[in-house]
Amino acid sequence: MRALLRKEMRLSALALTYLFIAFAFMTLIPGYPILCGAFFMTLGLFQSFQNAREANDIVYSALLPVAKKDVVKGKYLFTLFIEMAGFTVMAILTLVRMTALADAPVYRQNALMNANLFFLGMVLVLFGLFNALFVGRFFKTAYKLGKNYVIYIILAFLVIAMAEAVHYIPGFEDVNAFGFAHAGLQIALLLSGVICFVALTFVSFKKACRAFENVDL
Amino acid sequence: MNIVEVKGLVKKYPSFTLQDVSFGLESGKITGFIGRNGAGKSTTIKAMLNLIHADAGEISYFGQTFLGHEAAVKQRIGYSTGVVSWYPRKPIRKIVDVTKAFYKSWDEEAYRRYLTLFGLNENKKPCELSEGMKVKFNLLLALSHKAEVLILDEPTSGLDPFSRDELLTLFGTLKEHGVTIMFSTHITSDIEKCADQILYLSHGILKADCSKEDFISMYGKPGESMEEIFLRLEREVQA
Repeated sequence: MRALLRKEMRLSALALTYLFIAFAFMTLIPGYPILCGAFFMTLGLFQSFQNAREANDIVYSALLPVAKKDVVKGKYLFTLFIEMAGFTVMAILTLVRMTALADAPVYRQNALMNANLFFLGMVLVLFGLFNALFVGRFFKTAYKLGKNYVIYIILAFLVIAMAEAVHYIPGFEDVNAFGFAHAGLQIALLLSGVICFVALTFVSFKKACRAFENVDL
Repeated sequence: MNIVEVKGLVKKYPSFTLQDVSFGLESGKITGFIGRNGAGKSTTIKAMLNLIHADAGEISYFGQTFLGHEAAVKQRIGYSTGVVSWYPRKPIRKIVDVTKAFYKSWDEEAYRRYLTLFGLNENKKPCELSEGMKVKFNLLLALSHKAEVLILDEPTSGLDPFSRDELLTLFGTLKEHGVTIMFSTHITSDIEKCADQILYLSHGILKADCSKEDFISMYGKPGESMEEIFLRLEREVQA
């Protein structure tokens, strides 16, 4: 498993993918749809998948002394590594916004989504969707990328728009809580995001392994 | 004793079918896999490595089925294809450094020896190599982990006559060390020079699986070279 991740990081990945983790810092931009930071990180992953395809990485990996399904595992491991690196930065910055910057006027006057636990849950939903719609579906052919990513973009922006707008619906104001207000609801929303992420990732991984067994390289 | 067994291999494409191909590779022998372009040689080899999904058939290595023991079997076999290059913009040194971590029996000394023998520079990138040198790079990876079985898809394609001769001589040396080799080619002189066994595939059907001597006595006419036999057989199929 370690060798697989190392291969992904040293041979398949583009430096751009690591650089795009920095989009997590968009969490600090006031008056900006901060969920877009998560979307931009997936753009970096898309570039690495494209690079891997052009470098014949999938065939090379399938020839290594691993089972064919481990090729899928390698790509998921790398994707999860980048996603978790980005999520960690976002989580730290969210905590900063929830504590030290909780009363900062630029954030208090923010018409858009606040950085709170609901935001982190939605970041995980976006990553889960990416894993299911892009990474998982990629292994149906092991070369088609574009259509899967377009489908993800459409769905991701629908999710972002919904998450940004939901607190304007009467009765849903608490979703956009500041600091640790409405902690119970916020924790529940974060946990829902975690469950979505785990379920989408796990189910798509299993499906991708099965699909890839039937792919002719 | 057969170290590799292929039984009832079938792969159907819209315009081509590999039909019920069965053969075995004898331990410590060199098997030449011959057939014209499009005969199904690469399809057979890819199916042997689970790179393509066969519609039917079973592949086994060292007495165990490939599916289910894929990782363990691949530790003991080596594969090289003609001119495909992996990671064209990465230095060879980096590709090798990552690759060797996967092999329990990576032989650094053998790697250095073949690197020198093939005249490869570790600092070069595959995109900077000629087609022949790309073949050598693929072979270098296949040879450096003490593979007991080498499956080589057109390893001599793109090599100059001198390099081809060197490679065929190397096959002979590896055979002396007990390595089983199967190589596909459409260059009949390569078969004549070093193969013990011949697999002859035509239009997806395995027409012959026998020793080189038997092949010549069964299909050859007096005075015919291997190339003449092969050409005549193909023309007979076309007619």
